[in-house]
Amino acid sequence: MDHTSFLERWFRRVALSIIVIFFMFPIFWIVLMSLQTNETILRSPPSMSFVPTFDNYLAILAGRLDSNVASMGINFVNNLMNSIILSVCSVAVALCLGVPAAYAFARHKFKGSEDIAFTLLSFRFAPPLLVLLPLTLYFQEIGLADTYLGLVWVYQLICLPLILWIVRGYFEDISPDIEYAYRIAGHSWFSTFRKIALPLAGPGIAAAGLLAFIFAWNNFIFALVLASADKQPVTVGALAFVTASGIQYGQIAAAIVLSIAPTLALALWAQKYLVEGLSLGAVKG
Amino acid sequence: MGFLELKSLSKSFGDEIVLDGVSLSVPEGGTLVLFGRSGAGKTVLLRSIAGAIDPDGGFIAIGGEDVTSVPPEYRGIGMAFQNFALFPHMTAYDNIASSLTSKRMSASEIRTKVDAVARLLKIEHVLSHAPKALSNGQKQRTALARALVAEPKILLLDDPLRNVDAKLRFEMRLELPRLLADRGATIIYVTQDYKEAMALGDRIAVLDQGNIVQIGSPEDIYRRPENTQIAQLFGDPTINLLDVVPKQDDRGLHAFLSDQRVDFHGRFPGVAGRDCIVGLRPEALSFAKEGGFPVTIEAVTPFNEKTVTLATTLRGREILLSQPAQDPVPAGPEVNLQIAAQDAILFDRATGQRIAPEPDGNQVEEAA
Amino acid sequence: MTAQLHLNSINKRYNPGTDHEVHAVQDLDLEVERGEIVALLGSSGCGKTSTLRMIAGFEEVSAGEVSIDGRRIDRLAPAKRGVAMAFEGYSLYPPLSIRENIAFALKSEKLPQSDVDNRVEQIAALLEISDILDKRPNAISGGQQQRASLGRALIRRADLHVLDEPMGQLEPQLRAILRGRIKHYIKEHELTAILVTHDQTEANALADRIAVMEGGILQQFDTPENLKNRPANIFTGAFIGEPPMNLFSAVAGVSDDQVELRLSADTALRYPVTAFSEELRQRIQHDNGIMIGIRPHSVQLTEEGLPAEVFANQWLGDQTHIAARFAGASIVSVVHDLALPRPGDQINVSIAAADLHIFDTKSGDALSHGGNLA
Repeated sequence: MDHTSFLERWFRRVALSIIVIFFMFPIFWIVLMSLQTNETILRSPPSMSFVPTFDNYLAILAGRLDSNVASMGINFVNNLMNSIILSVCSVAVALCLGVPAAYAFARHKFKGSEDIAFTLLSFRFAPPLLVLLPLTLYFQEIGLADTYLGLVWVYQLICLPLILWIVRGYFEDISPDIEYAYRIAGHSWFSTFRKIALPLAGPGIAAAGLLAFIFAWNNFIFALVLASADKQPVTVGALAFVTASGIQYGQIAAAIVLSIAPTLALALWAQKYLVEGLSLGAVKG
Repeated sequence: MGFLELKSLSKSFGDEIVLDGVSLSVPEGGTLVLFGRSGAGKTVLLRSIAGAIDPDGGFIAIGGEDVTSVPPEYRGIGMAFQNFALFPHMTAYDNIASSLTSKRMSASEIRTKVDAVARLLKIEHVLSHAPKALSNGQKQRTALARALVAEPKILLLDDPLRNVDAKLRFEMRLELPRLLADRGATIIYVTQDYKEAMALGDRIAVLDQGNIVQIGSPEDIYRRPENTQIAQLFGDPTINLLDVVPKQDDRGLHAFLSDQRVDFHGRFPGVAGRDCIVGLRPEALSFAKEGGFPVTIEAVTPFNEKTVTLATTLRGREILLSQPAQDPVPAGPEVNLQIAAQDAILFDRATGQRIAPEPDGNQVEEAA
Repeated sequence: MTAQLHLNSINKRYNPGTDHEVHAVQDLDLEVERGEIVALLGSSGCGKTSTLRMIAGFEEVSAGEVSIDGRRIDRLAPAKRGVAMAFEGYSLYPPLSIRENIAFALKSEKLPQSDVDNRVEQIAALLEISDILDKRPNAISGGQQQRASLGRALIRRADLHVLDEPMGQLEPQLRAILRGRIKHYIKEHELTAILVTHDQTEANALADRIAVMEGGILQQFDTPENLKNRPANIFTGAFIGEPPMNLFSAVAGVSDDQVELRLSADTALRYPVTAFSEELRQRIQHDNGIMIGIRPHSVQLTEEGLPAEVFANQWLGDQTHIAARFAGASIVSVVHDLALPRPGDQINVSIAAADLHIFDTKSGDALSHGGNLA
């Protein structure tokens, strides 16, 4: 017999449901909005009954924004591509730099190593605007403003500390004995890093990469200041929906659905790696 | 000169001195047991030999060659870890084979060698399993196989039996010397279990606070411990240490326990009248039919192979006595104990150091 | 006498109804008398810690009842059970000194300060921690922390004292003496204690009765003396005793004048019929799979006897373990004298009928101890 009473179990389910509804509601509502016209969205009182339409999606993909007064071109697909390019490149660069650095910080304690690691993390503390204005001037000076290279570089402020600090924890969780054992078995430090440390920290690296991707994807301020129209990601591009003649809620909603879809899919797909990553502590034994 | 030679090896972590000038020499094919409590520096010493830790000072030579700054992969060492340190993402086979894949060796050669060592250690049937699917005993054997398979000249065993259950530990203790003997490797074996140390070592080095405090055969350590601390580390139950002030007369040096005279064999000039401690192994005491000194039995604990009796002397000092299980314990509580006097060990009370009897040679000289 | 602690067929299931269901404790019945010290002994994963946690209230009882002093407690919160516990992981409050940690246990008794001080000093002297009473937990060694944790549990006057691996971290040279003192203290104050340990020496030295567990099942609940001389099954026989019992599978042959226990093609033990009782002869004659067990200290090295070849000889100071190849397996003998065979020597071993334990291979249950039915 299980001691948890029926009432207790029932209460748990209700509580869980409330939490799920609370967090899922905005997403659910936005999906609904994206399938409606601006008129049905704005009617009062709001109603759940409407004839679903894919017009908003079609308009966005076609790059034409129609409102009741005028129609204008919008480059949403281009923005989406920019988001993908910027996020993927940023995370790739951050992984290439961050993972070896995290390994070094985890394994080789030297004078000042803690300070350096902390300095890297402190980039996350400063308000981005503080860095941005001088950076814009420098970038214009050396010709990095409004380039993918420049943006990816600035995005490291977001991605690198994240990856460094998360992955370092995973490396520290691997018993040094396991690595010593591989060295003593006759392998160089580099092959030990490749064959032992990397695979064992793999789930952690994946989790950190995913988080960095989401942060990069959602970044707004860096791209707003540093990128022109043809380099800007969806977060900035969505501003275009605020037009002089009103706000195109239906199309914004459709754009949001399209722009969160990749990260959502990625998160769902990576879920099992994340769980694996959390249970990696077993390696210690 | 030994095959493995350590000269004044030192290592500190911050302000903490872990190794304080350790020198050691192990002959080729010999087995040296490093014994000490946790924190004594055993593990750091072993890792320095393996090359996993860089010593701050001193040097390490293997086969006459200075390897102090040689990276671990070129030292030709095999090592088994206390926590096994198996690679969790590889099968038992790949774990063992990892010691060979770094060498120029064909896959079939590797297969043959892994199979041979697996057969020796009776783990052939689990080679395809991942470490987490192995029992503790199998993990320990896999770790041992990984250390042995490349036939290293030096084998470092870091408390390999610590994490297996008592029965298996006992069986492995009996089996290990045989498994290792025909490999001809020079072995350093680290343990905190004095029984393992005595059973497996040709010689035992007792480590305390980063220093070797005594090195010798199991018999040396057990019968002639350098100080009271070492005496307490070896033996179960622990040695009885009683304060005495020995006296000298024409029958030799002696002391009184419960008003009963106990003689010390050998010559101890200048010891009479000093504050001393006498160390009596529990098994060196026995119940006396007649004579001996009177004690009161407080508790009798029968174990399987021996019976341990706690008694107090007339002056209320606690004393432990151990005897084979088949020997009867007399009905108490008032009984008499006798001492096998050659087993009494004398220590200086101020320093805790053993006071050794002067060698007989002196006596002859003096007599002449 | 009434039972102070009564476990009535308790069960623990982890993750019930899933693929990962583990039946950690199965139908465990146990009675601990008032003033008794009982040890739960077993290797890791045997269910002893789950049992302890169910008694203390840190784990729900999946089925069955736990009562203390006739009062059912298995649904009460831990604090209301009248149980004092010493943890394996010490769990001292870091901001408090050792003195405050120990005195904290007396808070609920609302004693005058002088009484509290007295009792703390007394238990500290017993456990040799008087000199560190004013230190903080993180300033003392693991062994000292464990002694402080023990002190905090023992100072209380609870209905039941629960000790989880109470001496695992203790300094070896203190262990033998402290065991004696703690046992004396528990008896003197008429406390009832249940302790969990994997160390049989500790269980032997402290407990009046020992419950041997394996795979969630109680194997035997008996006095140390009986566990040693009358093991109920193969598991207890092999588990209790250091070195472990020698076990061989055998085939019994009973004729008019002798009983033969054949261990291998060329090795058989022979005894006169009178060495075994009539019932036992009947029993083993019709049993086609038996195991015989002999304690290492009962294996005698004699002039006659069966041949064996020594492969290990390990001197431990007060005893010597000799291992020899025998009957296609190995046999271990403990001797105390120094005239020893070396590895490679041929020796003869003999085993007296009085020292034989016979088990049924299939059920594992003991059939006889020393010639008479179990």
